[in-house]
Amino acid sequence: MNASPVYRALVLTAWVAGVFCALLCGVLAYEHFAAATNDPWKSPQLLALKDKLAAEPKNEAAQKEIRQLDLQFRRQFRRRLALDKTGAWLLAAGVVVLALAAGRAVTLKKPLPLPQPKTGGGEQSVRLASRARWSLAGVGLVIAGSLLVVRLGNTSYLPASQAGWQKLLAPSAAQEAPVEDVPALAEFQANWPRFRGWDGSGVSLSGSNAVAGVLWQSAIPAPGHSSPVVWGDRVFISGGTVARREVFCYNAATGALLWQRPLENVPGSPPKVAEVPEDTGYAASTMATDGRHVYAIFANGDLGAFNFDGTVAWTKYLGPWKNPYGYATSLAVWGSNLLIQLDQGDARPAGSKLLSLQGASGRVLWERDRPVPASWATPIVIEAAGKTQIITLANPWVISYALAGGNELWRAQLLENEVVPSPVLAGGYVLLLSPSTSLMALRPDGAGDVTKTCVVWTNEENVPDISSPVSNGELAFTVTSGGMVTCVGVGDGKKVWEKQLDMEVQASPGLMGGRLFVLGEHGPLAMLQAGRKPDDLGRIALADRFVASPAFAGGHVFLRGMTNLYCLGPAAAKSAKQP
Amino acid sequence: MARHLKFVVALGVMLLLGLMVSAEQRFPPPDFENGYVLPSASTPPARQFWLQYADAGVLLACLAVAVFLLYKKRSRRGLFWLSLFSLAYFGFYRKGCVCVIGSPQNVVYGLFNPQYAVPATVLIFCFAPIVVALFAGRAFCAGVCPQGALQDFMLIKPVSVPLWLEQALGVIPFVFLGAGLICAGTGTGFLICRYDPFVPFFRLSGGLFILAAGAVFLLAGMFVGRPYCRFLCPYGGLLRLASLASKWRVRVTPAVCTQCRLCEKSCPFGAMREPAPAQTNPTGLAAERKRLGWLLVLLPALVLAGAWAGAKLSPAAAQLDPNVALAERYLRQQSHPAQYGLMTPEALSLQRASENPAPILQSAAEARRRYDTACRLFGGWIGLILGVKLIALSLRSSRTDYEPDRGACFACARCFSACPDERVRLGQIL
Repeated sequence: MNASPVYRALVLTAWVAGVFCALLCGVLAYEHFAAATNDPWKSPQLLALKDKLAAEPKNEAAQKEIRQLDLQFRRQFRRRLALDKTGAWLLAAGVVVLALAAGRAVTLKKPLPLPQPKTGGGEQSVRLASRARWSLAGVGLVIAGSLLVVRLGNTSYLPASQAGWQKLLAPSAAQEAPVEDVPALAEFQANWPRFRGWDGSGVSLSGSNAVAGVLWQSAIPAPGHSSPVVWGDRVFISGGTVARREVFCYNAATGALLWQRPLENVPGSPPKVAEVPEDTGYAASTMATDGRHVYAIFANGDLGAFNFDGTVAWTKYLGPWKNPYGYATSLAVWGSNLLIQLDQGDARPAGSKLLSLQGASGRVLWERDRPVPASWATPIVIEAAGKTQIITLANPWVISYALAGGNELWRAQLLENEVVPSPVLAGGYVLLLSPSTSLMALRPDGAGDVTKTCVVWTNEENVPDISSPVSNGELAFTVTSGGMVTCVGVGDGKKVWEKQLDMEVQASPGLMGGRLFVLGEHGPLAMLQAGRKPDDLGRIALADRFVASPAFAGGHVFLRGMTNLYCLGPAAAKSAKQP
Repeated sequence: MARHLKFVVALGVMLLLGLMVSAEQRFPPPDFENGYVLPSASTPPARQFWLQYADAGVLLACLAVAVFLLYKKRSRRGLFWLSLFSLAYFGFYRKGCVCVIGSPQNVVYGLFNPQYAVPATVLIFCFAPIVVALFAGRAFCAGVCPQGALQDFMLIKPVSVPLWLEQALGVIPFVFLGAGLICAGTGTGFLICRYDPFVPFFRLSGGLFILAAGAVFLLAGMFVGRPYCRFLCPYGGLLRLASLASKWRVRVTPAVCTQCRLCEKSCPFGAMREPAPAQTNPTGLAAERKRLGWLLVLLPALVLAGAWAGAKLSPAAAQLDPNVALAERYLRQQSHPAQYGLMTPEALSLQRASENPAPILQSAAEARRRYDTACRLFGGWIGLILGVKLIALSLRSSRTDYEPDRGACFACARCFSACPDERVRLGQIL
């Protein structure tokens, strides 16, 4: 039977509408997936331009190119949105035509109903009801099975019992209690509670004795580059290998090893310890103490707090980290806060963070993502512009965060290369080093991006790449790896003097009692007058290799060598004694 | 040719998937300083008060017109145009909100959350179709529901679903209704709205999953009449119950049924029921009574078993609550630390939880208690509907004529024109 012209026309219309819809969907789908895969934000061209700008922050041409490219991407995005909207309406119209034409065509071809008389209605109803009951039971089983799968596939970390809930909720209130049990600022200043002292400046306020020689030396059971921290009569250092990461506590008066404790069974820490570069090792980060607990972090990501008797207070796993030389940033403490700068990766964004933990409990108070790659500088905490600020360094940003809450206060794009030296506060300025490039003084009272406004002065002479500066407030001192000591005025950044020491240096210098201490990698410990003239105040020969920075407490100097821990003081023994 | 037609139509609708997914993307703000100040994000203002009442007025008017067309005019054509109007107004103009289907959630949410006052217009949207159904059956489904109208429009060549399967699948809307009301009552969210497969079409925007679900329903709707309404719509479940007690009911014939069976094939929704004589075999009757007795005993057991199973499901279901989910993620991070991307929602939420976990854990504890009760009720509800449905399927009803099932009939009026008596009444047959 030949189809009628109307039917043929309807079928043709349905085909045309179907093909139209298919083509339109193809275009829209292509646009969608192309947009999803070609994210303009990850455009190699844009990223290259951004890297160029990061390397040359004042490059106006690069800025202009980025703006133009950004505008171009935005225009493309708007065009695509408009195309999507138009396409959606066209598609809707196509579907309407398709449905109408196809529906009409089917109606035209529909055969006329010719129902026959039906018998056996009663039996059929019974059979139907029976089947329906069984199928309903089947539906019930499917529902029960689905719920069972949901239940079995779910893991809950929340407690199942009332007692579990009480236990979980109880510590939250209890955790606040230890906050008040924090030593006074004077206690922090009298000790050496973190890398480069209580404020990270490398300046000791607790002694002015002349240092004459080694009082004692004590063997260190495990390798590491971390510097000693001192609180009262205790000296703490960390060491570790792939097999074991440990904390060691020595008697500051005698050098006796009081206890050593491994950091192990850290929840979440993988059994297979991540490998780190041998030169850096697992214990390059200096510990910190708040006088109640002592904290240690290792390059595999393990963090632990120990009581002064050596028992473990709490542990956390923060790794793994992507760090080309191994994690080496030291811990910082301020009051009851433990601060951890976790910069990592070699591209932005890289997962870098700054964390503030409650020291007593290990509870994370806040956590901030940082737009920087791996760095090795240690943050300092300063009181400036009426705020307690955390100053962090990494390429290319100097960023200040509020200690309370972690909000970013200001940032400046000033740093280049691999940032190792830590900042110090001197004369109201933050002194910092862009490695091998420049020594800068910043005013820490800005807000937002202060790149163009915060720098007070810059000095590009004899800029170190590893060690941090030190200052007595009037003069600042830097030491290069080649042993060149440079003194500049804090107020203007002008060089006052320079002096070449015959030694290689990796440790950061320190100040105690008006003396500048510079520790050679293979000794000696050189002492210079920290004034406008570099008077030589003596040297103490040491037969060890020194990478860690000296710690000062109670008029003594504590040095960590590769094999021994040394205590130097005024009444030097004729020969180093082994406890 | 019909096979080709199906293929073309299926292709066209399946490719609807590509329709609006791109509209979800956003372009980030510039990350360099250029002096431009980004405007602060703002929430769109609420619809003006009088316009909300206008919407309610349109709904009431549409319901009245639907009842008039159904019972007075017996006009399929009128209902078709009314449903097109509803599709345009409640669907594309109002973008599926306020939606009658989701409105029971507002009511339940208001009942369990004293801070939320249910707007009067939402109450009208929720209860007006039910009240109408108590008198005139599912007039709302016939010509006022935009979701139903969209599916009706796409219906091209209906095939019949076996009645035993239809009866079994008919419990799913009640399960969905229970889940939606539980989520609303616990303050988790409006599940029914979130998983409405047609609203993304009305809004020309939506997630890929829900767009795909909508496309599947439309595709299936070309051959299975109103699949969403019959096998998923939770509000349809309520209307089905209300229609069972309706004062008036749709009658195929305006006169006397001649049992010509012409109307049987005209219903694309499988709602037409054939005559069923009363049971005359005493042996069969005894067996049916015995089965009914067992099922009546089974009913409380099913409810209790469902409540027990619901309690076991509670920890998993509670994770629908955002605070419970965050608390779970926070505790998981404590024991199994994971790295999240910079500024990802996971990282930001964990940051928030880490700053002050106590209130989140406290809130999670309260949510878990709520969910424990809610899941017991939900499980018991499933047991109840399964038991009641089994009992209903064990009751024998007797009919002498072909007539629509009161609960299943959408009152679309398609069957009217299939009846010779109706054609006589209209003067189409002399």
